[in-house]
Amino acid sequence: MKGITKFMKKPWFLGILVFAMAILVIWNIPIEKRKYGFSQSGLATDYTGLLPERIEKVVNVHNRNELQRIVQEANKKGKHISIAGLQHSQGGHTYYKDGIVLDMRGFNRIVEINKQAKIVRVESGASWEDVQEAVTPYGLALQVTQSQSIFTIGGSLSVNAHGRDIRFGPMAETVREMTVLTPTGEIKQLTRDDTEEWTTYILGGYGLFGVILDVTLNLTENEVYTIHTKKIETEKYESYLHRVLENQNIAMHYARISVAPGTFLDEMYVIDYNKTKKQDKTTSLKEEEGVRVSKFALDLGRKGGKLEDLFWEAQRLYINSIDGKTITRNNAMRSESTFMEFTTPGRVEVLQEFFIPVDSYEEYMQSLKDLLPHNDQDEDFKVHNITVRYAAKDNMTSLPYAKEDMLGLVILVQHGLKEKEIAHAKTMIQKWTDVTLQYGGTYYLPYYPYQTKEQFKESYPNWKSFKKQKAERDPNEVFVNLFYDHYMK
Amino acid sequence: MQNKSERYIPLIVTVGQVVIFPYYIVWLKEVSFSYTLFAWLFATFSFAAAWGYRFFQSRGEKPRSLIASVYVAMGVVYIVVGYWKLPIEYLPYVALMTQIILGFLQGYFRAWHTKQRSYHVHAINHYLIVGVIMIGLSFMKVVSPSIFLTVFGTILCMCGMWEVVRGFDFKMMK
Ligand SMILES: Cc1cc2nc3c(=O)[nH]c(=O)nc-3n(C[C@H](O)[C@H](O)[C@H](O)COP(=O)(O)OP(=O)(O)OC[C@H]3O[C@@H](n4cnc5c(N)ncnc54)[C@H](O)[C@@H]3O)c2cc1C
Repeated sequence: MKGITKFMKKPWFLGILVFAMAILVIWNIPIEKRKYGFSQSGLATDYTGLLPERIEKVVNVHNRNELQRIVQEANKKGKHISIAGLQHSQGGHTYYKDGIVLDMRGFNRIVEINKQAKIVRVESGASWEDVQEAVTPYGLALQVTQSQSIFTIGGSLSVNAHGRDIRFGPMAETVREMTVLTPTGEIKQLTRDDTEEWTTYILGGYGLFGVILDVTLNLTENEVYTIHTKKIETEKYESYLHRVLENQNIAMHYARISVAPGTFLDEMYVIDYNKTKKQDKTTSLKEEEGVRVSKFALDLGRKGGKLEDLFWEAQRLYINSIDGKTITRNNAMRSESTFMEFTTPGRVEVLQEFFIPVDSYEEYMQSLKDLLPHNDQDEDFKVHNITVRYAAKDNMTSLPYAKEDMLGLVILVQHGLKEKEIAHAKTMIQKWTDVTLQYGGTYYLPYYPYQTKEQFKESYPNWKSFKKQKAERDPNEVFVNLFYDHYMK
Repeated sequence: MQNKSERYIPLIVTVGQVVIFPYYIVWLKEVSFSYTLFAWLFATFSFAAAWGYRFFQSRGEKPRSLIASVYVAMGVVYIVVGYWKLPIEYLPYVALMTQIILGFLQGYFRAWHTKQRSYHVHAINHYLIVGVIMIGLSFMKVVSPSIFLTVFGTILCMCGMWEVVRGFDFKMMK
């Protein structure tokens, strides 16, 4: 004991203690350091923080009666309401100037799980993670969700999101029943054969036709898959994908295209999840792992040039290392997201997604090669990830991005925040959208709207009837947001 | 002359540190994101203070050793915290550095202070003065914590300068 006390009195020992503590603290400094959302004093933003706006108030939603009263009152008094889930949409979809924001996050109960019927009924502010936690012990899993589980049910259905599943169609199709609150304050129970077509406008309706209160979703087995990975040339992808779609043994699929200078748009990694027919009830949901290392590697890649080549190679090592491994369906639907956080001051990283018909992929990639700089190391506008997903034809929603079977190219773009830099990014993305439109493609609406109104109209020819229905169903414009103003006004 | 700085400066420093503490905490809370990190930053401060204390003791307790630089260094830390608008990206790391430096300097200062003749008088006076100042401040609308931090930092730097000049005079007189 005496020895320890003596030891602790040594200045160098205390110095080492401080050093060790400092390392511990550094390791625990969160990666996410940005502030966005409603925590901003008086100003609301969403994920990118690009469109700050003053709002009147935020209502933390906890029950439907309170919600109904707010909507009815807004209707009478001519007030505006926006609906917010976890605010990962990036174009001001969740708030409006001087409007009321419904923060749905607290409205998140799992109401019922029916193991036999394979359904879950859940309130719309719950995240996919909440649902996964509830259904995994029953050996069940979601049919369609994004590759990450960090979004709310209401938010994802309102953008009709998509992910890695290639078998269950659009997310909207997995909804069996739904309770909604209409702009006039009526609570409606909707089923799949809804004659008034509320589902058509609420699903994929960007919160403009009412509040989704709860939904009953179809589930499937939490099957165990084996992962198969491969590096292929971009020009071989189309035929590869057709084989994947024909092979009913493959449940999920996605791919990644190189944006590294050495292999720019020439190489791809493909990742397939093959069925094993084994249902899993015991494997727990995976937590985020290796976040710091992944973020470090990604940040290096973000610098472009040789470092991006290195990052692409690092991905090869990773992709090889998971080849042959097994994973449960639920775990394949909850990939890491924290490592993606972009925290460089004065710059922003935004998502964009372009959809193109499956059979136009090869020609489209050729055109992209002409449009984008192969080495963007010295450019302000940097592309440093393109993931490819399959999005099946959508007949259910009123603004469908998948008018036929499409491939979605999810791109991560980084650019500066000076006026000139934003203008340049806008020009680049508009050019990219033009190329996409030439091939009969569309672009995704939950992201920052760099696109022009004309590009929107061309991508979503149904916008007129969307607007007409909006006027009929919500004549006092109770539900609005910045996205609505940008495209529909 | 020597007595004057021994009488007042350590009192200004101890009182000032307690008075400034709430403002510093507001800043630290802002940059530390989670309670765990906030608490750990304090733990780091504490360990660093123990280190500083012991460091003073191990130097053979030379009465005036380094104390002027301690004041200036503390002052600079407060000025950095209060004045510079650092991007959020770096703030937690800066907070960690300031906790280590401030902790070390405070430990060193405390060890030195206990050796001064006026220490026990200061201990009582400091409690009283802090109480009175805090009541006074509670009636003031907080302009911005950064202003208080910067002002206190500047006062500390002035104290350090004063010590240097006094030390110099003292030597000359000898
Ligand atoms: C890192 C990242 C990865 C992404 N990956 C994918 C992906 O893989 N696939 C994909 O399809 N999308 C993806 N997205 C887009 C994202 O899925 C959508 O933005 C989704 O809407 C996010 O859910 P949220 O809870 O954050 O919704 P929010 O952004 O909060 O809301 C989205 C829209 O839904 C409306 N809304 C929210 N709750 C309700 C409700 N209860 N009733 C009615 N309307 C409501 C809002 O008004 C808004 O218009 C990604 C976004 C990010 C930032």
